[in-house]
Amino acid sequence: MKRLVIENLHVTVEGKEILKGVDLTVNSGEVHALMGPNGNGKSTLLAAIMGHPKYIVTEGSITFDGQDVLAMPVDARSRAGLFLAMQYPQEIPGVTNSDFMRAAMNVRRESPVPLFTFIKAMEKTIKDLEMKEDLAHRFLNEGFSGGEKKRNEIVQMELLKPDLAMLDELDSGLDVDALHVVANAINNMRKEYPLSLIVVSHYERFYELIEPQFVHVLVDGNIVVEGDAALAKRIDEEGYDWIYRDYGVQPASEAERRKAPVSLGSCAVAQKAQGK
Amino acid sequence: MKEIRVNQNIRLESGFQEYLIESDRKLDLSITCDTNCQALFRIRGAKSLRIRGYAADGCEATLLFWNECNAPLECDESYEVGEDAHLIAAYGECGGAAVDRSIYFALRRPNAHGEILSATLASSNINYRMNMVNFAPHTLGEMRNFAVVMKQGRLMIDAIGSIVNGAKQSKNHQTSRALSFEDGQHSTILPELLIDENDVEASHAMSIGRVDDEQLYYLMSRGLTLPQVTALISSGYLMPVADVIEKEEVRSVLREELERKLSAL
Repeated sequence: MKRLVIENLHVTVEGKEILKGVDLTVNSGEVHALMGPNGNGKSTLLAAIMGHPKYIVTEGSITFDGQDVLAMPVDARSRAGLFLAMQYPQEIPGVTNSDFMRAAMNVRRESPVPLFTFIKAMEKTIKDLEMKEDLAHRFLNEGFSGGEKKRNEIVQMELLKPDLAMLDELDSGLDVDALHVVANAINNMRKEYPLSLIVVSHYERFYELIEPQFVHVLVDGNIVVEGDAALAKRIDEEGYDWIYRDYGVQPASEAERRKAPVSLGSCAVAQKAQGK
Repeated sequence: MKEIRVNQNIRLESGFQEYLIESDRKLDLSITCDTNCQALFRIRGAKSLRIRGYAADGCEATLLFWNECNAPLECDESYEVGEDAHLIAAYGECGGAAVDRSIYFALRRPNAHGEILSATLASSNINYRMNMVNFAPHTLGEMRNFAVVMKQGRLMIDAIGSIVNGAKQSKNHQTSRALSFEDGQHSTILPELLIDENDVEASHAMSIGRVDDEQLYYLMSRGLTLPQVTALISSGYLMPVADVIEKEEVRSVLREELERKLSAL
């Protein structure tokens, strides 16, 4: 059973500590929802698990299936079975979706995926996600709408079949119909094999479709409350104020996160006028 | 495949033809295109190449020079494009050895259309000097250069678009892009426009830069190693040069050759 175990995780970004001792265990086939106000560490946690180079783990451990995830480069984490559907998928001009996906599938196999097998798999996935038929030949995410980019993340996920997928605000940018399409595709994958999920979303509607068994609330870099789906429903109805009040926590201030304005230098003309 | 080992005057036939240039001497080639034709020139060796090309009135011609040399290559090329003719000179520079290439295009008669397209994998000194000159009215000149500059690679592209006085309603456009993945490379692109006529269109665009770290992270987060990502992005950048040849089987051979080179990076 592939289990993700995170213990006492501390993560800094550009010198600022964002995660301050997160513990989380995700067993095979479980669905975990990660909630919390903006800027309190949800995306940071997912990026740190995936291995984004900007996110520095200063303390703690992450293991997956017994392997030390922190010792692996990002590509090895992917091949080990981790997948992150990103909040802002990158546009890669010149690289077609099909070339990219075929290459990504091949690195997981002993021998290259036969062309016919790949085409059939890609066509099925495109159909499942109700994407345009020319997706395979389009450059990766280039010129895609926000919703198309998000659905393309699930196209990749369906083709790569990870053991644990992390969905970072996948539902933002998706209309109601697209949300159902994406949720159906994810739920179908879960029926096929014991896919584990960590889902970040602000919306109860998405959680209703994905049905998480565990909900964690991250405030100021710590998981402060845990529960089942009822917790997500209560947050949807009442917000986070009751958590701040009942658990004596405060969200990381947005203002605190913003960097102080940086001077780009003085205007030489103004300096001259001032006789400097 | 026809072999070229000595100086030759070549008159291209209609359709597709393939030549192999292999010599240890200086070669002088004259290429005449007076019909709709496409030619692939595989360059395996030459001390230096001097090419004079002519596209006759009304013809559509494509010349693809595929550099496979292991030794440095020096080329001096000059092309004349006739009335209503369209001549493409394309370059696949993926041999790994140094290249010094000078290309001159004269759009001599009305409605002449000249194109230079280069795809370069630079891992040594690559020098291009290009000059696309609109001499006649209603002519169109285009230069498109794409380069991936590897560690120790030095790329220099000096691309000049000129529209002479009297070449009314002519167009001259150029784009040059150089991409790198790591430090230790050097790229210089000098886009120039020399315009001596009103009522014309001219433009230049150029970019030199490293692949964005976020893009690398995104691609690697799907399991590809850095060399695999480098090969994938380079392939997307350079591969379109093969598309100037209409014959699909030739295109796929060229693509496979390029992929092999890139996967060996």
